[in-house]
Amino acid sequence: MEPSAPLAIRVPAPRDVGATSTIIEIEDFNFSYGAKQALFDVNLKLDARRVTAFIGPSGCGKTTLLRCLNRMNDLIDGTVINGGRIRIHGVDINGPEVDAIELRKRVGMVFQKSNPFPKSIYENVIYGLRIQGVGSKSRLDEIVEKSLRGAALWDEVKDRLHESGVGLSGGQQQRLCIARAIAVQPEVILMDEPCSALDPIATAKVEELIHDLKKDYTIIIVTHSMQQAARVSDKTAFFYLGRLVEYDDTQTIFMNPANPQTEAYVSGRFG
Amino acid sequence: MPAPVPNHPFVTRSSRGRLIEGAVFWLMRLATYFVLVCGLCVLGDIFLKGGRTVFQAEFPYVNVPFLTQAPETLYVFEHEGQKMQLGDRDFRAFREAATAKAKAAGQPAPQFRTESYVYSAGGIWPCIVGTVLLVVGSMSIALILGVASAIYLNEYAKDTPGVRAIRLAILNLAGVPSIVFGLFGFGLFVIFLDWNVSLLAGWFTLAFMVLPVVITASEEALKAVPKGFREGSLALGATKWQTIRKNVLPYALPGILTSSILGIARVAGETAPIMFTAAYVVRDKLPWEVEKVSDFFFQGVMALPYHIYVVSSKIPQNEYTARVQYGTAFVFLFIVAVIALSSILLRNHLRRRYQW
Amino acid sequence: MSVPPPAKAPAFAIHRRRTRILGLSLDQCIQAFFGGHALTAVIVLTLITVFLFKEGIDFFGQNRENLRIYRQSGMEYVDVLRELERDHTSLTRYLYDIRLRALQHLTGPGGRSLPEANAALADLDALVERFGDAVVPIRGFVSDYGEVAVGIKTRFIENQDFAEAKRQYLAAGMVAEAEAITVAPIDFKAEVAAITGAFPEFEAGGRDLAREVASTVQQLPALPTPELQHRLERFQQLAREYAASIDGRLEQMRTWQWDRPVPATQAFTAFIFGRQWLTASFWQDWYGIVPLFVGSLMVSAIALSLAVPLGIGAAIYVNQFASRREQQLIKPTIEFISAIPSVVLGFFGIAVLGQALRALSQAEWLAWVPGFPFAERLNALTAGCLLALIAVPTIFTLAEDALNNVPRAFREASYALGASRLQTILRIIVPASLSGIISAVLLGLGRVIGETMVVLLCAGNRIAIPDFTQGLTAFVQPVHTMTGIIAQEMGEVVRGSIHYRALFVVGIVLFFVALLINFLAQKIVRRHRISIG
Repeated sequence: MEPSAPLAIRVPAPRDVGATSTIIEIEDFNFSYGAKQALFDVNLKLDARRVTAFIGPSGCGKTTLLRCLNRMNDLIDGTVINGGRIRIHGVDINGPEVDAIELRKRVGMVFQKSNPFPKSIYENVIYGLRIQGVGSKSRLDEIVEKSLRGAALWDEVKDRLHESGVGLSGGQQQRLCIARAIAVQPEVILMDEPCSALDPIATAKVEELIHDLKKDYTIIIVTHSMQQAARVSDKTAFFYLGRLVEYDDTQTIFMNPANPQTEAYVSGRFG
Repeated sequence: MPAPVPNHPFVTRSSRGRLIEGAVFWLMRLATYFVLVCGLCVLGDIFLKGGRTVFQAEFPYVNVPFLTQAPETLYVFEHEGQKMQLGDRDFRAFREAATAKAKAAGQPAPQFRTESYVYSAGGIWPCIVGTVLLVVGSMSIALILGVASAIYLNEYAKDTPGVRAIRLAILNLAGVPSIVFGLFGFGLFVIFLDWNVSLLAGWFTLAFMVLPVVITASEEALKAVPKGFREGSLALGATKWQTIRKNVLPYALPGILTSSILGIARVAGETAPIMFTAAYVVRDKLPWEVEKVSDFFFQGVMALPYHIYVVSSKIPQNEYTARVQYGTAFVFLFIVAVIALSSILLRNHLRRRYQW
Repeated sequence: MSVPPPAKAPAFAIHRRRTRILGLSLDQCIQAFFGGHALTAVIVLTLITVFLFKEGIDFFGQNRENLRIYRQSGMEYVDVLRELERDHTSLTRYLYDIRLRALQHLTGPGGRSLPEANAALADLDALVERFGDAVVPIRGFVSDYGEVAVGIKTRFIENQDFAEAKRQYLAAGMVAEAEAITVAPIDFKAEVAAITGAFPEFEAGGRDLAREVASTVQQLPALPTPELQHRLERFQQLAREYAASIDGRLEQMRTWQWDRPVPATQAFTAFIFGRQWLTASFWQDWYGIVPLFVGSLMVSAIALSLAVPLGIGAAIYVNQFASRREQQLIKPTIEFISAIPSVVLGFFGIAVLGQALRALSQAEWLAWVPGFPFAERLNALTAGCLLALIAVPTIFTLAEDALNNVPRAFREASYALGASRLQTILRIIVPASLSGIISAVLLGLGRVIGETMVVLLCAGNRIAIPDFTQGLTAFVQPVHTMTGIIAQEMGEVVRGSIHYRALFVVGIVLFFVALLINFLAQKIVRRHRISIG
């Protein structure tokens, strides 16, 4: 894959995606950090049990939108939603009766920099359950195994569940964070550049994992790497300067984009 | 035969620059060790001379009366050709016994020409007790207020100008002289709130003195916990408080503890703030030997640092008084050293437990 | 790979009503709890300032009153005479000093016996006697009329006490008792007239004194050495100046008015620029901060002049030269020194260092040091040395931090250009960390100037501005400091009295000095951060 060659990205053939249903609807969404507006009139419908990739140059608002989906932006001072709404399963997540904490239990998140807690691997995985008050040892054991298997980490760590999660390699740490996220059984998993700090082999493992996870979860991934978007996602949304430029099947975005800006970006001419 | 001088561009040349560098190096080394020697001189002097008061050659090797008795006046006198040194109570008993003996023998009562030195006999138990009470009380107040404030400032407060002003104020107050805190405590607690010179006034004065230190250090410790821990926890559906309690505080604890123990050392070591808020020169009863419970709080206590001040400034320096002067300084220094040392050990221990 | 299926919730249940207390969710309650604590902390810290000012600010009103009564009772008037007498006394002392030196010369190098020497100085003795006698009438005036003035002031203060008692009786509803107290108002004009009325006497006395002094020094006796002769001539000159000044002083008395108002600013300037801190005196109390401020500054200057080279030298050594093992030895030891409580250091000063320094000062090979030998065991030098030991750890730790923060790349770039170690340190590392080092020194100064126990125990506690005319000798004189005066006198003053409030004002000054130092240190450090980038 020579970076200089335009359209060097090999996009897999269209997959058998089966019937789709919309889970997240974003309507005319506007968002600001204080006086600086970060998102302008974003309209987007995301499919359930698919992988959707957000791509675009730095500062284009893709991470901001991602963090809006589980209201992590609430924690930043001075953020304002100035127009539009986000619905998940038809429920406005910024509605007055919605509890951000309950929302985050259903919409999990994996961060750019893997952030395992300085606890044992076991404790890391069950952290979310502990918080919800699950105390049954057998149930916790079961979930730990399931989640670690789900995150393709079980075989590597099953003998050292009670060692510190910080001692794992970078790729393992990130998969531990994914295991931690799926342990609370969310419906949606948001991934904020999950592989940006990983080496190619670890990246491949995580990507493989994403592919497996989409059987059961809706996955939204922000990535800087167009190859990655092409490899893992079913649909891709391209953002530029806070606006959604183009949203379509991944193959279309990469092979036959409608917008010249998209074409310029995916062919590596800027960004 | 002289060694052949190598002839290449990288040959080492002895030059004036090299000489100066060596001189500067030794000068700085000298300065460093001079400071160490000075500090060790002070410590050595007090530990050596104080050790003679506190330790003894025979069992139990520690001078128990010195540590467990109240201060008394020392009487020095000559009796039947012998030089005697007795504490107040012993001296009375001795005089009565001698008088009775003389009476029985039909002689006139003996006259004692005594020299007396206040506080130079007996021990320093009430001072130790008072210091411990002051430290425990004030640190409890300072820790509760300080850690809670730090949690608020670091975890909850938004970065508004008001909060920034508060931070600046706290930072600046850390440099305010302790005597000024003493004045403040005197003005507010002793006079305005009419608590008089009391344990309670001392607690609050000392607590407020270390409050800026505790807040600043606790905030530093909280800041050192990576942001990812908080985000990761919140993204899993934890509430803010759950996040702080389970995923922030445990990791900030070593830092908070270390700083607070250093705070304890400072509280225990300060004299100026308690001089007119909490310290009595002498108090016959122990703090808990009171009629009403409230008297426990509203009476002053004796304290080691103040006692050192009293015995070093109000009584002369001589062979009779040196015992108690050095002994008190030794015990005090020992306590402060143990506190300081334990903070360092605790820090190392907890560092090993929590690593990220 | 089997993946756990997500929860099959019938609906997307993200609604939840959380338990609420007073309309706040649990999390908000916890936030309010912490916020409350932070608020308490802030309130307390505000209270410090408030209470310092609350107790201190009345000082200026009281001091103005103090100065007013000083004038109205005629004390100020009598003080002109008193000063006349005092200046005369200091001239007499100068003369005695000359006589003593002459006697020492005659009995020492001159090789004469004591009676012979005394006989040789008969001329000088006659001069001393005549000069001393000249002031006797004035001394009488001062004593007589001083008593009158003190009497007026005493009655004024008694009246104030009576009025206060009356007010309290009335407030308590005890009218009969209140009636029983009669406050006779003081007619200051008439009372003071009793003093000022004697002006013709003062004038005559003053003129006589001027004449007598002038004629006394007209003829000078011969002294054995030119140096002494020179001193005597200097005396002659001073005496003539003194005689010439008398007219001006008499003029000052003539134009003096008992009812000239005391401006409000004078209460302030008398404090800030007052060169006397004199309390509980029979005559007039003065609250001038200058001697205390100078004392604090002197002690700090001694401490810093020792601590800055030692602290920074040690910091550079440890940071740049020392091996790892040495670092591990030095750093904790210096940290440990900083943990020594100041009262213990003060005790060490009294018990050991004072003696040791005095003994050292009397060593012959150190006689060239200005001020050596000295007799006072406790003086600015003793306190300064101990304070240096307090300041060194502060300066060392902060300066070492600053040196540590210099990016490694700076050093490597310098070495790569062929600079030697010393050149790298002097030209790269120290300049890059200079602001950090300066702020370390400032914070060390803050520690030293705020330190109480060491100066209270070891500075000698003499309230006087040291005599700087003798050069560095001033640094071995006993001084008193701002912190020391508060610690020493606070326990003994009457609450609410002017003296009490004056001590609070000293506290306010200390507070602001500390704030200023802290502020400067922070400002310097902040600028430094930007410069490093």
